[in-house]
Amino acid sequence: MMEADSPTWRVPPRWVLLVAVLMIVLAEVGGGAMARFKVELTRWARDGMLARPSVHGLVGVRDVDERILDEALVKFDAGLRLFHMHAEGMGLVIIATSMVAATVIRRAAARRTIIALLTTGGAGYPVGYLAWSALIPSYGLERSKTIAEWLVWVPFGTATIVALWCLAGLVAWTMISRNRA
Amino acid sequence: MSGTVRRPPLGVVLVALVMLALGETAGAAMSRLKPEIQRYAAARIAANPGAHGFSGSAEYDDEVRDRAIFTAEAGLSFFHLHGEGVGLVLFFASALVAAVVPGRRARAVLYVLLTLGGLFPLGYLVYGAAVLEMGRDAGIELAERRVLTPLGVSAIAGLVGVWLALVRRRA
Repeated sequence: MMEADSPTWRVPPRWVLLVAVLMIVLAEVGGGAMARFKVELTRWARDGMLARPSVHGLVGVRDVDERILDEALVKFDAGLRLFHMHAEGMGLVIIATSMVAATVIRRAAARRTIIALLTTGGAGYPVGYLAWSALIPSYGLERSKTIAEWLVWVPFGTATIVALWCLAGLVAWTMISRNRA
Repeated sequence: MSGTVRRPPLGVVLVALVMLALGETAGAAMSRLKPEIQRYAAARIAANPGAHGFSGSAEYDDEVRDRAIFTAEAGLSFFHLHGEGVGLVLFFASALVAAVVPGRRARAVLYVLLTLGGLFPLGYLVYGAAVLEMGRDAGIELAERRVLTPLGVSAIAGLVGVWLALVRRRA
């Protein structure tokens, strides 16, 4: 009987677990930093936006500009929060799914590919929210979102989604072939 | 301490994985297909004017339509959030059952309860769709009563069962 037939877990490679735990640590640190340095972060973002008035469509009229700045600061804060939330979640997703892949997938190449996609996709995706927030003061709301979307969310998110559905398919296939046997 | 740790049946693992995959896919769809989803929602609402209590007054009807679209989108957003979260809860709780619950029958009962609870996020898909087809209040009522409450109770019962099994094991 192969190892994959045994009803016990196999542990994923150590680098995968290190990446997953690091994501969770970064998420915790991010959450703590958001609370502890809220004023400093807001000031940094606001100063960055005031230094580039044309990027943000600031017109020099206080009532108008404050509304624009407030909206951008809400998004800046939302990006940090979403990083905190997604990094915690994806760290756990990497641990759970790579453990299933390590246990169930028999072919070494397929197992390595799926684990690599799950880990890089899961670890990279939340960084997009951090990048989005960091880019808002320099590039404005829409452009920073587009950059984060095409450089981070789309490639890393797609990697995770494709790997997850492949893994679900392989688990289903394993169940079917065992029932046939 | 070293040694092997038992895993839950593949059927339970598959449900957890599918929930995670659906949650991820819904998140991507929410982000990439927002205008299409809003257009589809508006079309379904327009196809069911009676269910939404349209009065013929453009101002009132627009407000009702906006509220229904917002609620349907919230359903999709809750599905994304709960799909990811409940998928993980099912995975880790069932792994715990496999590792620490001694009786085969007790394990089977807990797997069934937890797996049904793992389907809880689907209630939010029903929530979103029912709001569009039946109107906001009737749709929410249906999803809460028929899907979210029974599946949620099942998840809670399963988790309480895991807790009791851990207490018994320690004693």
